[in-house]
Amino acid sequence: MAYQLYRNTTLGNSLQESLDELIQSQQIIPQLALQVLLQFDKAINSALAQTVRNRVNFRGSLNTYRFCDNVWTFVLNDVEFREVTELIKVDKVKIVACDGKNTGSNTTE
Amino acid sequence: MDGVNPVPKLYRSVIEDVIEGVRDLFAEEGIEEQVLKDLKQLWETKVLQSKATEDFFRNSVHSPLFTLQLPHSLHQTLPSSTASLLIPAGKTLPTFITAELGTSNSSANFTYPGYPVHVPAGVTLQTASGHLYKVNVPIMVTQTSGRASILQHPFQQVFQQLGQPSIIQTSIPQLNPYCLEATTEKSQRMETVLQQPVVLRSGTVDRKHLENATGDTLTHPGNEHKIMSEALLSHPENCQYISLSGVVFPPQVSQMDSDVEPVLSVSASMTQNLHGGPLSTGPQGAQHQHMPDVQLRVLKNRMCGCDSVKQPRNTEEPSSLPVSEKDSNSQMDLSICVTDDDINEIIQIDGTGDTSSSDEIGSTRDVDENKFLGITDVGDLKVLEEASSISNEDSTANSSDNEDPQVDLVEEDPLNSGDDVSEQDVPDLFDTDNVIVCQYEKIHRSKNKWKFYLKDGVVCFGGRDYVFAKAIGDAEW
Repeated sequence: MAYQLYRNTTLGNSLQESLDELIQSQQIIPQLALQVLLQFDKAINSALAQTVRNRVNFRGSLNTYRFCDNVWTFVLNDVEFREVTELIKVDKVKIVACDGKNTGSNTTE
Repeated sequence: MDGVNPVPKLYRSVIEDVIEGVRDLFAEEGIEEQVLKDLKQLWETKVLQSKATEDFFRNSVHSPLFTLQLPHSLHQTLPSSTASLLIPAGKTLPTFITAELGTSNSSANFTYPGYPVHVPAGVTLQTASGHLYKVNVPIMVTQTSGRASILQHPFQQVFQQLGQPSIIQTSIPQLNPYCLEATTEKSQRMETVLQQPVVLRSGTVDRKHLENATGDTLTHPGNEHKIMSEALLSHPENCQYISLSGVVFPPQVSQMDSDVEPVLSVSASMTQNLHGGPLSTGPQGAQHQHMPDVQLRVLKNRMCGCDSVKQPRNTEEPSSLPVSEKDSNSQMDLSICVTDDDINEIIQIDGTGDTSSSDEIGSTRDVDENKFLGITDVGDLKVLEEASSISNEDSTANSSDNEDPQVDLVEEDPLNSGDDVSEQDVPDLFDTDNVIVCQYEKIHRSKNKWKFYLKDGVVCFGGRDYVFAKAIGDAEW
């Protein structure tokens, strides 16, 4: 079962909104929308694991940390994200991280 | 190919995978293929409209596609057939279209490397997300540096009902990648939602022209789409530039009400290219220049916060509730203390109010009573009992002194309240536009030094999206 973590991204949210619109107009049933989201979870998890290959470094100050249900949530301030190509600075960032220890990069659902 | 943004490609491939993956599901449910296509269109439109893929088409090799469907007879009732074609960039449509007009179901595909696009009169345009409007006059669609498109309507009103007094909901999606599909089906629903900055030039043309159309009705879209609108107008005299980033049209407007029309009004004058300068892309707090009162008021009134659109679906409900409850409870406690103290002060002032001294007095009294027991008679015993009862009363009164320290606490809490970290930060603390969603391989802490080893992450910084396979970070708490 793939993490539903990525539903709260631009891609995931736009999918959910689109599905909601179709449900509103009664073109699909909610159950089907759920299935679509599950399919999305699989697709995004596997795409991230296999397609993306870049590395990023970051540094900042930790404002809060939370560990609950094996999910880490951090809020960092004044963070610099450094990629080979560019540097990005933000004053506040929230990181939500699920446990990725057991899922190898080559596993697929 | 360093420097190419991998995000758009990744998103496209995910969208394709998902759509293919659910195709069977849709078929099993007996749902039409068209619905699946709608889903894909909606999804792509939303993704493209977000700033996440700002560079989607700037860096990509593909060219934006414009799909135009031409009715095989202009100015007539809608044909039932649909045709799609892509507007070529830089080419003047009239020449192209005239060649196609003779045929029904005319269709052609062109890739469209860029703006501007000339749209002749009589063309029905439908945006990718299923919005439809008929162009009554020649339109030039251009792309500004501010990622907004300019619709120049050199003549009269552009939008006209498609031969029916039916509900028209037109929408102008984001124009940076501008996908227009025009269908001429009668039964097609058209939604009018302006979803992204669109610059309309409305100049000297008045509402008169707008009123020329018959039976135009614009209805409030059934679905509350994203709706952020900003309107920018400048120079009401020559050209009025209306930049709309998503406008929900007002409820049914019959006969081209002046309220709505101005939005769509066209300028008969001309046509300079509008650059992204005057356009403000911020979804909120738009800067309005020279806003013609009526028109923009209407638009403003219909603005809805885009927060509803972009707001992430927060799975974590911040602990605002428990926090607030705590606050209320603590306040309650404090209030109780205060009242009790008042009572205490009334009852007991000092001296005998002291617990320790009363104990001593009580003990001495007891001793005295013991001494006198052998000697005293009943009357004296009664007196002693009364004395002891009085002392008991004192002791009971003294017990209330235990709350005296709370008097100090009440006074001290405001003094020490600065020690508490403001609890109101918690709900707002986790509410930010910059979010990283990822998996952790290892989280390490040493004293207050934290190290993060993360992987497979999607980053959203102020709307812009990035991805990473691995991320390593340091932070100090």
